[in-house]
Amino acid sequence: MTRVRAEIVLPPVIALVAVAALAEGAIRAFGVSPLVLPAPSAVASAAFERAPILLPALWTTARSVLVGLALSTIVGVGAAIALASTRWVERAFYPYAIFFQTVPIVAIAPLLVIWFGYGPPAVVAAAFIVSLFPVIANTLAGLQSVDPDLRDLFRLYGASRLATLRKLAFPWALPNILTGVRIAAGLAVIGAIVGEFVGGGGLGLVVLGAMREQRTDLVFAAVLYASALGLALFAAVDLACRVTLRRWQRHDAGER
Amino acid sequence: MSRALAIALLLLAVAACNRGSSDRGATRVALNWKPEPEFGGLYEAVHGGAFARHGVSVEITGGPGAPVVQMIESGQVEFGVVSADEVLIARDRGVDLVAVFATYQTNPQGIMVHAQRRATALPEVFSEGGRLAVEPGLAYVKYLQQHYDFSKLAVVPYSYSIGPFLTDAGLAQQVFVTAEPIAARRSGADVRVFLVADSGFNPYAAVYATRGSRAREARAEVEGFVAALREGWSGYLRDPRASNQAMARLNTEMDAETFEKAAAAQRPLIESVSAGGALGSMTTERWDELGKQLQALGLLDHPAKPGECWFDAGTSGSTR
Repeated sequence: MTRVRAEIVLPPVIALVAVAALAEGAIRAFGVSPLVLPAPSAVASAAFERAPILLPALWTTARSVLVGLALSTIVGVGAAIALASTRWVERAFYPYAIFFQTVPIVAIAPLLVIWFGYGPPAVVAAAFIVSLFPVIANTLAGLQSVDPDLRDLFRLYGASRLATLRKLAFPWALPNILTGVRIAAGLAVIGAIVGEFVGGGGLGLVVLGAMREQRTDLVFAAVLYASALGLALFAAVDLACRVTLRRWQRHDAGER
Repeated sequence: MSRALAIALLLLAVAACNRGSSDRGATRVALNWKPEPEFGGLYEAVHGGAFARHGVSVEITGGPGAPVVQMIESGQVEFGVVSADEVLIARDRGVDLVAVFATYQTNPQGIMVHAQRRATALPEVFSEGGRLAVEPGLAYVKYLQQHYDFSKLAVVPYSYSIGPFLTDAGLAQQVFVTAEPIAARRSGADVRVFLVADSGFNPYAAVYATRGSRAREARAEVEGFVAALREGWSGYLRDPRASNQAMARLNTEMDAETFEKAAAAQRPLIESVSAGGALGSMTTERWDELGKQLQALGLLDHPAKPGECWFDAGTSGSTR
């Protein structure tokens, strides 16, 4: 087990150290101003020293991301089920679902404040909008890829639409759904931070303030925290993915 | 996020390439906003021939969101337009930036409220409560927070749109007296504006800055630039119409009437130079006062050296 962990953990750590060392060396060699691009060591020390500011901001951002992601998962799966229900519904509405993928969130962000008010509501809305589409698209792909023979079998036994969805289509689409949520998790972090640029609070506000105060090291430290949040979410969804799929597969094997 | 990173990488590349290059050819000036009357004298000096008379060929670049301090430092531009507090903060972070010309002697930043509110002065705007939309990290906001009662006020970010203000009677917001109030009135709002400068925090604004090494080594060129700029401002204050038209061609979002109103609104802020001073001139006392204020706000890590942050380019070009 420890060997396996080492194999998983070591390569990215080595890559990180190597890239950071290279950047540090290049920045020092060229004498780049810390205002233009701070050295990794300066960013690391800002990340550590300014933790009293960054940690509460991270928590604020994380809450908005989680709510936004939960909403986009629920709405996205629901919308995909509706789209998959009949052909004409899909034809009529799917093009508009794509709209959510192409929303230039930065452009409409100021409007979110007018619609939802300052603070978390606008931030959650931004996270939701940018993370919705991958959930819809992947869920829909999963629902539509159900084995036709199995569908026929369910029809033969006179299974209701709901039963077919619960016992066949949904479990079948689960891996796709989780892939969608995994992609959505990273996007939700970006959406929330853009939302915070206009709605206030969290890491987004720290970034803006640090830019204005010409503390570029703090800007990058905040970016680091945001990436950590994205990574943690990715890992959490990945874990959920493995746990649920294992149960489903065992369940599946038992049925047969 | 990725945009900030891209800009940083770009600047790194440019910083690496520009090192040691000479400053011959066009003198590049980076603006921090769109062509508007706050740069009227600069455009007047270009189109009215003042720069040409002083042997300077100027190329204007930059715009909203441009990292002007970094552009000056990395040698992408010879001059950039910043605010006095930015100069001191940059110097505190180790950047050798010096101010050469201060357009606004009285800071044009203000707080705009709906006229139906009872507030008759800045302190009342804050004590009344409600919401205040400001850019996070602004020095003057920190100053106001330190000096007035913000306990009942919710501070929210300002993102350059007066939309939220127009739809929310309880929202106050930061303004440039030459911009947002004019736009809000055009949209039918009845507004009142309070200058931040009246609170005692009054940094020079629309300050032209260059690298300290350039001011020392190319003194004559810098003096020529400043003299031409001063002539430009004299001309623009006499008659802004030609330059407003030139700027309107570059900034199509702003109409002729707004240009005219903004030019009129900013006039007293530019002309309020200390006794005997020429347009754009500065004093060590003002820089000293600002340095102390910024240090008290925690924005400077070291005491400012007020004599070093500005360069006296003389008073030539003055027709006053």
